[in-house]
Amino acid sequence: MLRFLAVVAAALVLAGPAAACAHPHTSLGYLQGQVMCPTCHTTLDMSDSQAAQQIKGFIAQKIAACWSAKQIEDALVANYGQQILAAPSHKGFDLLAWWLPILGVLAGGLVLALGVWRWSRRREPDDPDEPDKPAGSGLDEETERRLDDVLARFE
Amino acid sequence: MTRRLKLGGQLVALACVAGLLALLVWSVVHQQHAPGVGSVAPAFTLRRLEGPGTVSLASYRGKPVVLNFWASWCEPCKSEAAVLQRDWASYRNRGVVFLGVDYHDLSSDARRFVSAHALTFPMLQDGSGNVTSRYGISQVPETYVLNRQGRVVAHLRGPITDPGFAGQFRAAIAKAAAA
Repeated sequence: MLRFLAVVAAALVLAGPAAACAHPHTSLGYLQGQVMCPTCHTTLDMSDSQAAQQIKGFIAQKIAACWSAKQIEDALVANYGQQILAAPSHKGFDLLAWWLPILGVLAGGLVLALGVWRWSRRREPDDPDEPDKPAGSGLDEETERRLDDVLARFE
Repeated sequence: MTRRLKLGGQLVALACVAGLLALLVWSVVHQQHAPGVGSVAPAFTLRRLEGPGTVSLASYRGKPVVLNFWASWCEPCKSEAAVLQRDWASYRNRGVVFLGVDYHDLSSDARRFVSAHALTFPMLQDGSGNVTSRYGISQVPETYVLNRQGRVVAHLRGPITDPGFAGQFRAAIAKAAAA
């Protein structure tokens, strides 16, 4: 209960300065999903720890000062290091985290296509010289003629 | 052709499993554990919280060192700060070094904390938590007492203001200074 009241009080305190920036460049909600809580290793929106609350307060303050998401993220990286961001960077070893899922999907697609191709080949007739069976009902001519005769009697 | 393809697929699958296994072994081997009593404390160089420059633990070799891990968002650290400052004032003349390591914290908040509690011993910053994790810190405050050879004499998990810890803390400093 005390923690809840503290959060509400902090929100009220921060609500004042927030009005100072008429057109904020980003939102707390967005950045909470982009920034990690350093002590609990989840994103900020999943954590209510003291360390997470401190960073949320910092972000709210900077949004109120009209900072952009990039500026806020850069400031957090300067303070905590790259691991404060939920998404890996687009350079060096971190690139693997972006490319591996794509390569995985492509490889999976390839394996699936190969499987389907092989399966469809196995379904083809073994003897290509065998004459085609009649299309339509699948009955031979004699049976069809007799069936027509029987049906005609009922008309 | 089909057999070769199947063999290739099996090899790729085997390589993937071997890679995952290697990753698992690597993570287990490189897991961080708190240095035990008697072991050498992990070396580090950290930047000062206030002012420019860095501080290396190795530069204090030959002196007993009290290494206190804290953060400005940590409630128990507030009550501990005054006691640490008082102890620092009484032990510094006996050659004992106190070092504060601020971890996973905003520099601005940490500086405010230091100023509010009038802490005068050297403060270092471990924003990324890399050094802190090598000391196996799971919560703050935690305190290590190192002897003149840089070996761990005591590791107190919790504020030194806790009943029982104050005696242990002073006994550890005496032991570290005697070694």
